[in-house]
Amino acid sequence: MIQWLTDNWLKIAIPVLAFLACFVVGLWVRRVVDKAFERWRARTKWEGSQLIAKATRRPFLHWFLLLGAFIAIQVSALPPESKSIGAKVIGSLFVLSLGWLVIILSEQLLKLYLPKVKATQPTITLAVNVIRVIIVVVGVLMVLQIWGVPTSPILILIVVVLLAAALALRDAAPNLFAGFQLGATQQIKVGDYVKLETGEEGYVADISWNNTHIRVLDESTIIVPNSRLLQRTVINYGHPLKNAKEPFHFHSRTHLTELTGLKAKNLRELADVLKKVPDTVIYHHTHHFLEQHHYLTPEPSNDFAVWVTDALGDEALGEGLTSVDTFAFPNLEALRERLVGIVEEHLSKGSNFREVMPGREFHFAKSVSVILPTPYVAHDLREFAEALRKISLGSLYFHIFESRLRLSRGLNDFSIWIKDSLGETELGEEIARLDPYTYTLEGLRSTLIQLIEKRIK
Amino acid sequence: MAARLSGKVIQNINSTFVGGGVAEILSRMVPLLGQLGVDARWNVIKGSDEFFQVTKKFHNALHGRQERISAKDFELFLETTQKNIEEFELYGDIIFVHDPQPAGLVVRKKELGKKWVWRCHIDVSHPNEEVWNFLQSFVIQYDAAVFSAPGFSHELPIRQFLISPSIDPLSDKNKELPQETIDAVLGKYGIPRDKPIITQVSRFDYLKDPVGVIQAFEMVRKSIDCRLIFAGGTATDDPESDKVLAEVREKAGNNPDIHILLIPPGSDIEINALQSASTIIVQKSLGEGFGLTVSEALWKAKPVVASAVGGIPLQVKNKFTGLLSHGVPGTAYALRQLLNNPEYAGWLGENGREHIRYNFLITRHLRDYLLLFLSLDHPGDVIRL
Repeated sequence: MIQWLTDNWLKIAIPVLAFLACFVVGLWVRRVVDKAFERWRARTKWEGSQLIAKATRRPFLHWFLLLGAFIAIQVSALPPESKSIGAKVIGSLFVLSLGWLVIILSEQLLKLYLPKVKATQPTITLAVNVIRVIIVVVGVLMVLQIWGVPTSPILILIVVVLLAAALALRDAAPNLFAGFQLGATQQIKVGDYVKLETGEEGYVADISWNNTHIRVLDESTIIVPNSRLLQRTVINYGHPLKNAKEPFHFHSRTHLTELTGLKAKNLRELADVLKKVPDTVIYHHTHHFLEQHHYLTPEPSNDFAVWVTDALGDEALGEGLTSVDTFAFPNLEALRERLVGIVEEHLSKGSNFREVMPGREFHFAKSVSVILPTPYVAHDLREFAEALRKISLGSLYFHIFESRLRLSRGLNDFSIWIKDSLGETELGEEIARLDPYTYTLEGLRSTLIQLIEKRIK
Repeated sequence: MAARLSGKVIQNINSTFVGGGVAEILSRMVPLLGQLGVDARWNVIKGSDEFFQVTKKFHNALHGRQERISAKDFELFLETTQKNIEEFELYGDIIFVHDPQPAGLVVRKKELGKKWVWRCHIDVSHPNEEVWNFLQSFVIQYDAAVFSAPGFSHELPIRQFLISPSIDPLSDKNKELPQETIDAVLGKYGIPRDKPIITQVSRFDYLKDPVGVIQAFEMVRKSIDCRLIFAGGTATDDPESDKVLAEVREKAGNNPDIHILLIPPGSDIEINALQSASTIIVQKSLGEGFGLTVSEALWKAKPVVASAVGGIPLQVKNKFTGLLSHGVPGTAYALRQLLNNPEYAGWLGENGREHIRYNFLITRHLRDYLLLFLSLDHPGDVIRL
């Protein structure tokens, strides 16, 4: 053995020296590169640089060791076949090491950046797995290439598999890419209030890898494929406004007219019956025309004024009753007193004791209100304005007229909610000051929306 | 609202499946309720010809017409009612009885319970007292009564609701017609379109005041060149109609601008075409049950001049959705106003169409029925569903 070493020391020493030299050079190069990298990191302040430095430090030295082993084998006295095999082994190890590094690096970079574009955990896992599979496949192909195994059939097989996968995912793929684009560009973010081309609108509740979830006014959720969101015009109003303490639930109201069987054929009877009928009768005859003739400008007057003018032919009293400002009365009892007062004052002047022709008597009726829930719910002013556009006139009527006088709340429901639940006192009072009796219902709707939109801006 | 009636059976009861306004309304309303998921059914009572002759007399008397009604008539009514009480199957949760003929079935209310509603389709504003008192003894046993106009109600110890009748916008009488159809109908009756057309559509009945219509037209003609169409039919059960037709023809004389048209029953498209071709529609009635021809005219956005009788003031809000008149000179004055002010006439017509859209289409009628059924379980004035 000693004799063999004495005879062949040079054959051994040269490869060993070459290997050690490479190792030393590797250490030196790594140090130089580390310093250069440190300077670059300080200059760019890129958060990914730390990951790259940490991940490459050990493999870098491995690669120089592999280089040393390769040179050592090549300069050794081994037979050519052995050298060839050694080179292939070293090449394969290098490919595996490089592949491993790329996998580690890409995983860490994806995990660093995807959360910043609001990618969900399933999206991150999917992306990491895709990268892993691609790198492993490429690495295996390179190793096979190094060992001289034909790779064309494998490549063809991979292409076929990829095509089949692409075909299967042809619908999902655009949404996936659109999801990445949405996340990367931040055009639409979770919490934004958006309006779609189709008219639906609401807050973005979630953006998943294929769909965007939008919570709409009736608290249902619209699921929009991401690709469609990018292809269509979408108005993004931005972040939510101040949330109300309690959401506003819109109700609607319809009514049935109940007849009392009571009638008046002259002013005396009108005044007498007016004094004794329930408040709901006063409410009916001073309000039902608002709904019945909401399309008219100007709207006809209250029923008493119309009857006095048309049936009794007393235009002066008719004008007096028409000019009663219903909005000025806090409750129906006060309104009744005013109406009776006007008629009795007129009678006291001896102005009109006429009787109407048979068939033209005033028939007292009342409204039976039926209040129904609607699907519309508002949590802030933007949703509130949007709901106002959609609710029925019956709903608008209920919250503005019926709640104030008939349900004796003193204020309309909208003002109460805006003041108490949203804390928007000024806007609430501005709406409370509007005299709804001077608007058509559609006109009132537009005015309310304008006031609210002005406040939002 | 319909969902809240789930599980309840609405049993409609009247006296005939065919003919008459009630059968027409029920034939449309029952299927529509069904489409909303409400289990509405319809049955008719049985009665001899004599019974129906008596109820016809009751009908006329309740309308305020002079009728001789004997004690035997009341007896026959009670006998037939008793027979129906014994034989008729009452299964509804809400028993909806239409008009006077089956009204007596309510005596089974004590035994069966359930909710009972009497629907009065006729004008009982000035009824024959004897008949009304007789009928009222049944009516007050119901949970509620329904009338078509406020003036038809009486002081009763039960709840009374106002539900006006309605028109079906998709029916032959009210759907929009192509111009060719309108021209064809005018051609058929030889009516040129060379001057404004004033039209009244109604039966040849004194209550529709056809002679008054011609008088008003002649007053208008003194200053404005125009045509008059009086289109109507005669009723086989109304011996007066032939006499009225003869008088109208005599009054019209040979005036080529007055067209008296005897339209056969079921000619809804022709009536529609004549209304659509008109410049102004008149309804100068002396008395009306409700006067739905006014709604038909307003739905076609035609300016209307109508008498303030029956349910007409509900449909025509004076100077907003048409003009109300009280006599021949007033009708002539209103016609002149409209003929000389086509923009004002157009505004009234458009308002009228909107008024009908929101208040006199079958959809509103359907909603009112749902509200009525729901209100039976809620005695208050505010019902929260």
